[in-house]
Amino acid sequence: MKLKNLFKVVSVAAALAAAGVAQANVLEDVKSRGTLVCGTLGTSEPFSFQDPKTREVSGYEVDLCRKVADSLGVKLEIKMISVAARIPELAAGRVDLVAANLGWTPERAQQIDYSYQHYVSPQKILIRREDAGEFKTPADLAGKRVSAVSGSSSEAGALRLIPNVSAVTFQDPPSSYMALQQKKVSGFVGSELMLLKFKQDAENSPVKNDIIEEPLFVEPWGIGIRKGEQEMVDAVNAVLTDLDKSGELQTIYDRWFGPDTKFPSQRVFEVEEIKG
Amino acid sequence: MNYTLDFTALLGNGYPSLVWGGLITTLQMTLLAWLLAFALGSLLAVLRMLNIRLLNYAIATYVAFHRNVPMLVHILLWYFGVASLFPYEFNDHMNMIGGGEFVYSVIAIGLVTSAYVGEDLRSAIRAIPPGQVEAARSLGLSYLQAMRKVVLPQAFTIAIPTLTNQTLLLFKNTSLAMAIGLIELTGAGRAIESATFRTFEIYLVVTALYLGVSLLLMFLGAYLSKRSSAAMAR
Repeated sequence: MKLKNLFKVVSVAAALAAAGVAQANVLEDVKSRGTLVCGTLGTSEPFSFQDPKTREVSGYEVDLCRKVADSLGVKLEIKMISVAARIPELAAGRVDLVAANLGWTPERAQQIDYSYQHYVSPQKILIRREDAGEFKTPADLAGKRVSAVSGSSSEAGALRLIPNVSAVTFQDPPSSYMALQQKKVSGFVGSELMLLKFKQDAENSPVKNDIIEEPLFVEPWGIGIRKGEQEMVDAVNAVLTDLDKSGELQTIYDRWFGPDTKFPSQRVFEVEEIKG
Repeated sequence: MNYTLDFTALLGNGYPSLVWGGLITTLQMTLLAWLLAFALGSLLAVLRMLNIRLLNYAIATYVAFHRNVPMLVHILLWYFGVASLFPYEFNDHMNMIGGGEFVYSVIAIGLVTSAYVGEDLRSAIRAIPPGQVEAARSLGLSYLQAMRKVVLPQAFTIAIPTLTNQTLLLFKNTSLAMAIGLIELTGAGRAIESATFRTFEIYLVVTALYLGVSLLLMFLGAYLSKRSSAAMAR
């Protein structure tokens, strides 16, 4: 009896030790699994959002994920995640890539690896039109309350750059926006495109919005990959560089930010390593 | 295992004062909501005793509404719904005193708990044999005096275990206010987690603080229960 138990214990211990030694390689896992799991927000137009006509999650970042999946020869699976869960989901291995409005910050760069930048976003502040005379620059909001999405770099940036501000954070952009419209806060900090969408939708409502011209800060966005997965980072960077060289990136960009879309803007960034 | 515990990351950058501030906010919310719940709950229980049909229906409706809808929905209803019915000047006043998050979540949690407290007190009062009231009346006490001096003291003694229960639940339910952006203890933990990514460490700290206060409340309840039942036994 005793020998049998000893054998069981030793084999379990050996298995555990082997698991500790074996390296998880995301790229190989994806290829052997046959699907690439891409985490996106699903609520941020035009990066990833539910297309009302086709009811599928589509957008600029979804298209980039699809290109990566195609280059690896696997299927794409989109997983919708919240802003605060982006890093934890990646660290736990529940998603392979995160393409979810992921701005670069030094703290995040210590936790995960970033690909080359695929978008550069100015972070701005949305205000009610009636306050436009009072708030002309971000510093005018000193001592006031602003809303932001919980866990976002907008929240961190507001606390860092506006003196004496208090940030009220909510679980998602619509709640933060509602707090602004209901006069619970004086401003809503977020990426310019997200704020642009709210501003345009508000033109048909009684409380209209304006965006403060001067950006709070400018942040590059990259695709997030789990720390230490150099092969995956190289694969994604290769895809992005090829898209840029062949001109296909510009086509994808124009599809979502072109002159006849909802968010016309010029591409002012290059696909290159994020300078921190 | 590729996770090493590192508590020193939580010591910098004002994080300890954030956690402390969150704890104080939680305790303040618990106290105010408890006072509201207890006052309103006692009122409801006593009003039920009057046995007026219409009043009974009204109270039963109030209790049903507050018990059958999740507390988070109540908080959202008060903060986003009821708050928007008030004129804008009222909201400006709210923002002056630190924002409606604290006030509305205290009201919502207090009202829901008052429904439970009311029902608990009602069943405690019904557990007193009616012979007690008859005996008190026959000794010359008025109905109100009989209630105050004979029935209610015994009812509170019987109700202390369930009231301790409700207090503990109230204390934990304050964490729901995180959904409307209030930085109480859980909210502070969440904010520190997204800034430092030290998930396990910060939640260990938050858990320890919640457990500590809960145990204090439990011991307080047990102590009160022992003392009042000893006083009753005489």
